[in-house]
Amino acid sequence: MTDRATHPAPATPEPAPAPEAAQPAPATGRATASPRADFGSVAPSDSIVLRTGTLSWLLPYRAALVSLGLSAVIAVIVALATLASSTGMSVRASLNGLLGTGDPLTVMLVQDFRLPRIVVGLLVGAALGIAGCLTQTLAGNRLATPDVIGVNEGATAAVVASVVGSSTAMVGDWWLGPLGAAGAAALVVLCAGGAGTRGYRVLVVGIGVSTVIGAVSDLVMSRQNDNTAGGVFLWSVGSLSGRDYGVGEPLALCLLVLVPLALVAGRRLSVLRFDDDMAAALGLNVPLLRGLTLALAVALAGVAVGIGGPITFVALASPIIATQLYGPTRVPIVGSALAGAALVAASDALGRVVAPVEIPVGVVTSVLGGPFLLWVLFGGSSSRKA
Amino acid sequence: MTVELVVERLKAGYPAGSANKSEPARLAVRGVDLTIAAGQVVAIVGPNGCGKSTLLRAMARLHQPHTGTVQVGGDDIWQLRQRQAAHRISLLPQSPQAPEAVTVAGLVRYGRHPHQGLFRQWSREDERAVRAALTATGVTDLADRRLDQLSGGQRQRCWLAMVLAQETPVVLLDEPTSALDLGHAVEVLELVREVAAAGRTVVMVLHDLTSAARYADVIVAMCEGTVVAYGPPREVVDAALVRQLYGVPADILAAPGDGSPVVVPRSRAAVPAHEGPDAARAAEQQPGRHDSSRDAEQDQPARTGAAGTGEATAKEATLPTG
Repeated sequence: MTDRATHPAPATPEPAPAPEAAQPAPATGRATASPRADFGSVAPSDSIVLRTGTLSWLLPYRAALVSLGLSAVIAVIVALATLASSTGMSVRASLNGLLGTGDPLTVMLVQDFRLPRIVVGLLVGAALGIAGCLTQTLAGNRLATPDVIGVNEGATAAVVASVVGSSTAMVGDWWLGPLGAAGAAALVVLCAGGAGTRGYRVLVVGIGVSTVIGAVSDLVMSRQNDNTAGGVFLWSVGSLSGRDYGVGEPLALCLLVLVPLALVAGRRLSVLRFDDDMAAALGLNVPLLRGLTLALAVALAGVAVGIGGPITFVALASPIIATQLYGPTRVPIVGSALAGAALVAASDALGRVVAPVEIPVGVVTSVLGGPFLLWVLFGGSSSRKA
Repeated sequence: MTVELVVERLKAGYPAGSANKSEPARLAVRGVDLTIAAGQVVAIVGPNGCGKSTLLRAMARLHQPHTGTVQVGGDDIWQLRQRQAAHRISLLPQSPQAPEAVTVAGLVRYGRHPHQGLFRQWSREDERAVRAALTATGVTDLADRRLDQLSGGQRQRCWLAMVLAQETPVVLLDEPTSALDLGHAVEVLELVREVAAAGRTVVMVLHDLTSAARYADVIVAMCEGTVVAYGPPREVVDAALVRQLYGVPADILAAPGDGSPVVVPRSRAAVPAHEGPDAARAAEQQPGRHDSSRDAEQDQPARTGAAGTGEATAKEATLPTG
C-alpha cells in the first residue's frame, strides 16, 4: 500500500478543476507538449516508420524477414517437389525436363504435369491459409476454420452434386465450389442469427450445418456406380492430381483480387480483436467489416475447395503456424498464405513420392493434421503464447 | 462556457423479443435532455436497470436510439460515419477485452486507429498523442510490459491512456472504477479530473454516489429511464434522492474540507447488519473490493516507479486552467 501514499491526492479535492492542486507542482507547465525525454519512441518496435509530408507508413521489418524466410522454405519445397518423382525419374532427367532439354516425354511430364500441379498447390494452400486466418479472427477462436463451419462442406457438396447432372461423370467446374461455399455460409449465418455472433455460436451451428451437407454429399456419392464414385471420392478427400494451368489461371486471378482485399481488411481486423463495443468506439463499422470479411473468407475457401477439393487442416494450421512465427500481436494474412502454400505443396509432394500409389494431398494433411489439432486442443499453441 | 455535448429528447430501448421486432417493448431511456459544457465531469448515477448504461451506449454510437439526437460540437454523431464519430467521442466500456498478448504501448497505439489509414499509418501526431497519453496516466514505465501481466489498477490506467490517445473532445467511461479497490478508484477519478482540466468533457456512469458527488461537476440521476435530478452534487444529492434512486434511507454528511455530500446508508437497528435486503444493498454501494489484496502485491515494484510521473502530470495538467 506504500505506493498509494505517494499519490498526490489532496486532502480536500475540489469538484471543480482544482487550481490549488497545481501550485506545488514544478513549473514545467506543458504536460502534454513535453513528454519526459527519457523514454524512446512509442512506435511499434518491430516496424520502421516511413514518413513523407503528411503520409506515413509502418514497415514491419520483422514480419518482412519472417516472410522472406518462409518464401525461402517454399522455394526449397518447390525445388524438391519439381525434382522428386514417383516413377523413378532421376534428378538429372527431371532437371532436363524442367529446362526443356530432355526427351519430349520427360519435358511433358515435368512441365505440363508436375509444375502446374505444384503451382496450383501453392495457390490453393495460400487461399485456404488466408481463409482460415480470416474466419479464426472473425470468431475469435482458433477452431473456427472454413473446414469446421461448413463452408468447405458446402463447396464439396456443390461440386459432388454436379457430377450427378453431368453426362461425363467427371468432376469439373471449379466455380461450383465458391457457389456451394456461399450457400453453406448463408445457411450458417442465417441459423446462427447473423454474422456478428462471436465465439461458439457460429462454430456450433457450423458443425451442425456441415454434418447435414456432408450427409447430402455422401448420399449423392452412394447413388453412383463404382467408377464415378471412385473419381468423386478422390476429389472429395482433397487431391491435386491432374490439376493444371487450366484451373490455375482462374485461381490466380481470383487470388489477385481477393488477397489485396484481405490485406486491406487485415489492419482493421486487428482492431476486431477487441470486443465489438471497443472496436466500434475505435471507429470500426463492426457489422460491415464482419460481413465483408466473412464473404472474403468464403470466396477464398470456396475457390480453393472448388479446385483442390476440401484439403483439411490447412486452414486451421496455417494461421496458427503464422502466429507462432510472426508473433501474436498482428493478424497474419501474409504469413497464413505462405504457411498454407508451403503446407499444401509439401504435403502434395510427399503424397506423390512416399508411396507406390499416390496418396491424395488431403489424406496427407489429415494424417499430419490430427496430431496438430490435438496439440491445439490441449493448449500447445496458446501456452506458448502466454 | 462552450457547450460540448447536447443530448436531445433521447429515447432508446430494446425490442420486445424475436417475435415482434418492430415494436419497442421496453424503453430503457424515455426522453433524456442534457446540455454539457466543455471541460466538465458528468457522473450518471442511478439504480441497476435505470437506463444509464443504455444512455451512455447511445451517446457512444453503440445503441441506436429510437428518437432524439446526440450532438458533439454541433454534429449529430448518429449522422456521422463510425470513424468520424470516433474522432469526437471515445468510450471505455466496463470490462473491455484486449487483443491477445498486447503490450501497454501497443494498446495505447490502438487509440490512434480512427486517425490512421492506409497512407497514414504512424504520423507524428500519433507519436505525440500516444506519448502524451502514457505520460498523463503515469504508465510510461509500463509501456513495454504486457497488459495481461499487470494488476487491475495498472490495467485500468492503461485503458484510460488508450482512450486519451484517441484525443476526442468527449470521453465516455462506463463504470471505470467498478473493479477497483478504493485506492485505485481514487487514482482513476483523480485522473478523470485532470482529463477534464485539460479541456475535455468526461461523462461517466458511476455506481458509488459519494465518489460521484466528490469528483463530478454535474450529477445526472436517472430512474426508470428519465433524469430525476440534474445539477452540481451539493445541490442535488440529498436523502430524498437516495431514497428515490435506491429505496434506502440514508444520511447525507458534508465532507470535511469542501463540504461535498457523503452518502451514508442508514442501517435498520432491528436487523443485524449481515442480514436483510438493506444490508445487501449497502454492500453493493462499495464496489470492487474483491481483488484488492492481489493487486497490491503485484503492484509494488512497477507502481512506485510510475507514481512519480503520475504525480508530476497530475499537477502540470491542471495548470492551464488554474
